[in-house]
Amino acid sequence: MRSSWRTQGVLLVVMGAFTLLNLVPILWGLIISLKQPGEAFSIPPTLIFEPTLIFHREVWVEKGFLAFLWNSLVIAAGTVFVSVPIGTLAAYGLARTRSRQASTLLFGLLAIRMLPQILLALPFFVMARYLALVDTYTMMILAMVAMNQPFTIWLMRSFFVDVPIELDEAAMIDGCNRWQAFWHVVLPAVRPGLAVTSLFSMLLAYNEFLFALILTGKNTKTLPVAIAEYGGEDIQYWSISAAAAIGIMLPAVIFTLLVQRHLIRGLTFGAVKG
Amino acid sequence: MWLFMLPSVLVMALVLLYPFLSALYYSFTDYRLGGPPTRFIGLDNYTGLLTEGRFWADLLNTIGLVGISVALQLVIGMALALGLYGMTRGVRLVSILNFLPHVVTPVVGGIFLKWLFVGRWGLLDATLISFDIFPPDWLGDPFWARFTVVIADTWKFMPFLMLVLYAGLQSFDTALLEAASIDGANWWQRLRYVILPMMKPLILFVVAIRTMDAFRFFDLVYVLTNGGPGTATETITLYTYQIGFRMLEIGRASALGMITLVIVAIMVAGLIWFMTRRGREAF
Repeated sequence: MRSSWRTQGVLLVVMGAFTLLNLVPILWGLIISLKQPGEAFSIPPTLIFEPTLIFHREVWVEKGFLAFLWNSLVIAAGTVFVSVPIGTLAAYGLARTRSRQASTLLFGLLAIRMLPQILLALPFFVMARYLALVDTYTMMILAMVAMNQPFTIWLMRSFFVDVPIELDEAAMIDGCNRWQAFWHVVLPAVRPGLAVTSLFSMLLAYNEFLFALILTGKNTKTLPVAIAEYGGEDIQYWSISAAAAIGIMLPAVIFTLLVQRHLIRGLTFGAVKG
Repeated sequence: MWLFMLPSVLVMALVLLYPFLSALYYSFTDYRLGGPPTRFIGLDNYTGLLTEGRFWADLLNTIGLVGISVALQLVIGMALALGLYGMTRGVRLVSILNFLPHVVTPVVGGIFLKWLFVGRWGLLDATLISFDIFPPDWLGDPFWARFTVVIADTWKFMPFLMLVLYAGLQSFDTALLEAASIDGANWWQRLRYVILPMMKPLILFVVAIRTMDAFRFFDLVYVLTNGGPGTATETITLYTYQIGFRMLEIGRASALGMITLVIVAIMVAGLIWFMTRRGREAF
């Protein structure tokens, strides 16, 4: 389908126009966050204005969004810290086993994806109440580990499968036991995979809304819950919540740039290698 | 080898299996937080929900909203993937920019969209009004609210389909395409008889994933319409949330969750069966 100069030109224009259209909601949010409220509601909407950063300052410093950012980061980091090590071990085990039980387990993990999140949210809510763990990081991290574990295992497994089994065998002939072969030889070979998996798990925890809505409270509130409370309705708060929205979005953008080469693999449980 | 899996299996038993079994148990009780002592009531929750109008309306809503938006996403995503495939430069930039809506925190994405659709001050209304066009109530009218939710879901998930389908296109054996052109197949014929049949497993895969997601559909609707007006855009998940966390009827909400699980399982199984059996004629 590679073709002439003219086709390329048309393609570029069409794709460029669509991209722009696709980004309108984000660009509009960015513009609102930089405008004085008076200008933000003019009809017709203005594109030329004097940008201001006061709302960005106001929301993060005065409205306390920095504290919510901290909560989000603690929960995301905690999730990665628990989920990725144990998931990596399991993924290695599954990548190097050809038994029927192993493939049953793998498909069982995939089936967990069919579970409606809200079904798990109910018992988590009850547990949190009974263990007096409402509004603690612990409960939220446990819930995020539950949501992430099958994903972590599948994604890490796809990276282990890429490492030839001869590597393990060579290490074991040289006198390593199974654990040493894993720790000294195979694990260093999947370091990029480990980074990608950690980043994906972090993003999933960072973006999570339903569980955060139920399990966090005034001490552990995460960014998505905080911004949802401000909402988009009351125009008095538009500039402020737009500034928050743009700030919350930034880590997601950085994330995309960091994992761009592995995006597709991450999005498909490791099934499609981009 | 099993020793490697042990820590993960133990943790999953604690955070997945145990909660799942508790939810299953709650679904047979009249458990209500802060309510009278819990009694075992057998299948009453299930029969109650299955004979209720709101449940069926929400189920239809969920299937309708997601069915339409998945179809839209598939068509647009495929078109974009083909576009990317045909481009010789700028592919990476275009794909990353188009991918952004998918990684943006769903709640934030919902708020961005709200500023487009919200009455009078939203970008869409403000623009239309300045051209003296009287806009519909995007979020307040049942029909337009559904329309808005479909657009929102499409905006959010189209990038995912685009990237995965593009990856599929790239892994092709180009010799087949060249052979088809030499045999005189035009662009449309190559798409229909060469590309689509080869993409079938991948299309099945993404549609299955999106079907599972459909029943988790929550964040965007919660922010955009919260199920309104009335229950016009209420999805099954939103209803479960209402029962479980607003009315605190854990038993009934668990039963609804279980019903949802069964529906998802049936749909995914049906999808796999349909695509593998009818596959040859389907495309």
